[in-house]
Amino acid sequence: MSLIDEKDQVRTEEMLLNVGPQHPSTHGVFRLVVKISGETIIDAEPVIGYLHRGTEKLAEDLQYTQIIPYTDRLDYLAAMLNNYALCHTVEEALGLEIPERAEYLRVIVMELNRIASHLLFIGTYLLDLGAMSPFLYVFAERERIVQMFNEICGARLTYNYMRIGGLRWDAPPGWLDQVRAFVGHMREQLKMYDDLITGNEIFLNRVRGIGVYDTETALAHGMSGINLRCTGFEWDLRRKKPYSIYDRFDFEIPVGKNGDCFDRYYLHLLEMRESLKIVEQALDQIPESGPVLGKVPKLIRVPAGEYYSGIEGARGELGFYIVSDGKDKPYRMKIRKPSFVNLQLLPKLLRGQNMANLIAILGAVDIVLGEVDA
Amino acid sequence: MWHWEANPLNGPAVLGMIIGGVVILLMTLGVVTYSILWQRKLIGWIQWRIGPNRVGPLGLFQTIADVIKLLIKEDVIPEKSDRAMFLLAPIIAFVPSFTVLAVIPFSAHHVFTANAAIGALFYIALSAITIHGVMLGAWASNNKYSLIGGMRSAAMMVSYEIPLGLSIVGVVLMAGSINLNDIVEAQARSGWWNVVPQILGFIVFLIASTAELNRTPFDLAEAESELVAGYHTEYSGFRFAFFMLTEYVYLFAMAGLCATLYLGGWSGPFLPGWLWFAIKVFLYISFQFWLQATMPRMRIDQLMTFSWKVLLPLALVNLVLTAVIKAFV
Amino acid sequence: MFGFLKGLGVTLRQLPKKKITLQYPDVRPEWPERFRGVHRFIPELCIVCNQCARICPTSCISLSGTRDPNKKMRIDTYDINFDICILCGLCTEVCPTESVLMSDTFELATYSRDNLYLDMHWLYENELQYEQRYPERVPQPAGEAKEEDA
Repeated sequence: MSLIDEKDQVRTEEMLLNVGPQHPSTHGVFRLVVKISGETIIDAEPVIGYLHRGTEKLAEDLQYTQIIPYTDRLDYLAAMLNNYALCHTVEEALGLEIPERAEYLRVIVMELNRIASHLLFIGTYLLDLGAMSPFLYVFAERERIVQMFNEICGARLTYNYMRIGGLRWDAPPGWLDQVRAFVGHMREQLKMYDDLITGNEIFLNRVRGIGVYDTETALAHGMSGINLRCTGFEWDLRRKKPYSIYDRFDFEIPVGKNGDCFDRYYLHLLEMRESLKIVEQALDQIPESGPVLGKVPKLIRVPAGEYYSGIEGARGELGFYIVSDGKDKPYRMKIRKPSFVNLQLLPKLLRGQNMANLIAILGAVDIVLGEVDA
Repeated sequence: MWHWEANPLNGPAVLGMIIGGVVILLMTLGVVTYSILWQRKLIGWIQWRIGPNRVGPLGLFQTIADVIKLLIKEDVIPEKSDRAMFLLAPIIAFVPSFTVLAVIPFSAHHVFTANAAIGALFYIALSAITIHGVMLGAWASNNKYSLIGGMRSAAMMVSYEIPLGLSIVGVVLMAGSINLNDIVEAQARSGWWNVVPQILGFIVFLIASTAELNRTPFDLAEAESELVAGYHTEYSGFRFAFFMLTEYVYLFAMAGLCATLYLGGWSGPFLPGWLWFAIKVFLYISFQFWLQATMPRMRIDQLMTFSWKVLLPLALVNLVLTAVIKAFV
Repeated sequence: MFGFLKGLGVTLRQLPKKKITLQYPDVRPEWPERFRGVHRFIPELCIVCNQCARICPTSCISLSGTRDPNKKMRIDTYDINFDICILCGLCTEVCPTESVLMSDTFELATYSRDNLYLDMHWLYENELQYEQRYPERVPQPAGEAKEEDA
């Protein structure tokens, strides 16, 4: 092969680079086939499905209560929210009434889980960008949340805590005080993350103006959650379509301005503050005692029909769509997985970027492969 | 001080050279072993962890265990690699890293230092050879990640050698000599270390040397989260150990150079010279680890911009200022 | 401009902080009472109602029993296949007599898949060990499980 091409230039070739599924920054088993010229990405093709377990199909053969442990394993960083999304859909279908205390406890654990999930995002994102310490710091805080969950429901990751019509357990004695102590502690820690990360010029240079898209593109691709809010579009289901008791709390919905990776990072920090606010208010308002499981028929049969309800998950709109033929098992279940939807824009964003930006952009989408592949 | 070049090359002199080389090698290995341990401990403490504490008391034998593990590992040579180059690369990378130690003055009366008249130049020239080993190894591995890592590394070395060299020139102007011994003596005479009059040069040196060492925030060549392991992705066993060793020997050498050029080398009140040198080297190495625990990684294009548009002008300004002050004051 | 200096300050301030490492094999984690580890099983209480086997999402429980001279059901075999058990705890929730419960045993690694078939004796042994470790947690209050049953 000649070293000179037709235009008398040194001949160069594009190369195909396989990023993943064992690459350290793909957050699980995500594979990306990128065509690069030098370090510039010409084309990128995501390959998913390495973690596919067929949850939707499995659910067709399971009673509604039995599906709950499976939802734990979708977005395993925010299992409480998944639990809730399923229970909420079934409860709406049945028109169940949830005891007050259960509602408050649900909100508390969901917001704590949102914080845990956002914390992990910050840790892994900074790890992707080459900073090691934030990863360890956020894990220490997340550990506190996980320990509290361990006390309330007996598991650290796959909680299986919610039940249709309420909760499995009431909070153990002293648990709510632990949460209150954690809220104060977490506020301090958030300041530290600001000092350590947000002010760092190297970090800012790597994320500012990277992976920019506008509201229209985001909406056209069905994005939700922080990936949508970073463009400046205020869309939060907790506010727009209040479910549970979110209409009783006073909190803000932070939105970005530029739709770049920095906005996505910073919104995670801001949202944690809002979640702390919600937890604090819920702790103030929660009834002292009361049942945590409402009146539920022993065998749950959802009347024939189609039901959908979405909640604001940690990564965007998390919805369960259930088609029932009146039996105790769903005829068909479809999960609207925010990570999966948010991932769609990735190839477009990557074109023309370089390898270092690939990591920054992919990390900021905040995917969980358990959810993408379901 | 005993001069290698001023004495005839006879039996005892050759023997002396060999003994000197071996002693320095052993000392260097010791320093490398424990700077790796110190790195893991310090970063562990910063991250609320304990760090290695299982092998030996306080984990003191951890690195030794790691090295033994690397040495008895299978030596994997990828089938599609360029075998000769693949085998040669770690050696090309390592040899200069050890050779540069020859000119570092460890203490005032240290017999094993080559009192070379071109000390600083010798260091810069030799350390530039290492990059060939890195690049060859990366290319010979026939791995795409390695290739990108090697190319990044080469681009970075070329860019950062210039501000590094220019910042050293400032010190050379101050002392009027390239001989590192003379530079230390000039600092000892003048009563203050070069870090005070050469603060600008020192900052440039600090940044450029971090980049030369391929350490965070400039560890792009082996950027784990981007390039898996960069240029040594395909290396394992003792060939990988050689690359690791190169990296840490350079850390030690650069710490020595920094101490010599800016912190007065072995000079200092009360304590013996070698201890002063050790303290300064320790500070520099710890600083690097501290940096590593704090900083995210820079991006390759920003790295280039930073070198050519910020560091180089700064180094030039420093050089001109030094020259003007030196000429008129 | 110099925000990274702040970051350096932050990391330096962490140096004297208390280390949070749990030196695992030497120091064991403390599990709360609700922790869902490997099951424990009390054969005397079991009435062979089969509810646990039916609720199990992965069908990992298999059991059999016979009627004794007093016309009471007695358990003969009770196996949990830990290959597929997901430790969701639904079986303990439906058990009307609290004969199957969760323990704090969590170290499941083994050399062979066959070792993951846990039979009644293993599970009962686990119960006895659990009682030794937490004498204050047994006997369980009998009234609690009835609520979920309703």
